[in-house]
Amino acid sequence: MIIQSTRFGELTIAETDIINFPHGIPGFPEEKSFVAVVNDPGSPFSFLQSTTEAYLAFLLADPFTFFKDYEFVLDDQVDQELGISKDKPPQVFVIATVKEKLADMTVNLLAPIVINSQKSIGRQIVLEKTAYGTRHQLFPYGLIEQQVTQGGR
Amino acid sequence: MLALTRKPGERIVIGDNIVVTVIEIRGDNIRLAIDAPREIKIYRGELYDAIAAENQQAATPINMPDIAMLKALQIKK
Repeated sequence: MIIQSTRFGELTIAETDIINFPHGIPGFPEEKSFVAVVNDPGSPFSFLQSTTEAYLAFLLADPFTFFKDYEFVLDDQVDQELGISKDKPPQVFVIATVKEKLADMTVNLLAPIVINSQKSIGRQIVLEKTAYGTRHQLFPYGLIEQQVTQGGR
Repeated sequence: MLALTRKPGERIVIGDNIVVTVIEIRGDNIRLAIDAPREIKIYRGELYDAIAAENQQAATPINMPDIAMLKALQIKK
């Protein structure tokens, strides 16, 4: 099937690429169907594009690349709903917000996106009893110019 | 919207399986006990609002040159 994306243009995806968010996403309760867009498998960044709203895409980051000690405990009820267990760990992403400059990018560690790709189901989890907040800077020391311009390694 | 007046110790029953009890009122603070099935998630309003607001901001399109930069950006692990 073909979906429209403001950011990526027309995307051809398979039914099986669709990740269902049965609860929607806070702020977008009606958006229950997304697809992951990975531009570069080596990058800690990817996108979560709505399959129904062309304009709606979230920039996702791999939290563990930036916050090595990031951790949280999921409720049994969430484990059950997403079909995850010790043997079937989920994929974990955090939503990034870019205001004006890329260097000021923040991520929401308080509400990670947890996905079971085998079951094609995901949910944004609001963590309880945690010190994490919605705006953690990814680049607290600024961006090193070389990192940006040279890329690669 | 329904607005109800309750006294400490009194309850509100919502549907078949949610019960909200007013435990105590002290100054500006009202202490509630909420009994609900586990699959019903309960959040403090401001926490949920903060996450919804952050998602709204995150969904605002960012310009394309920045995206290209992002693609080139590799973080040393």
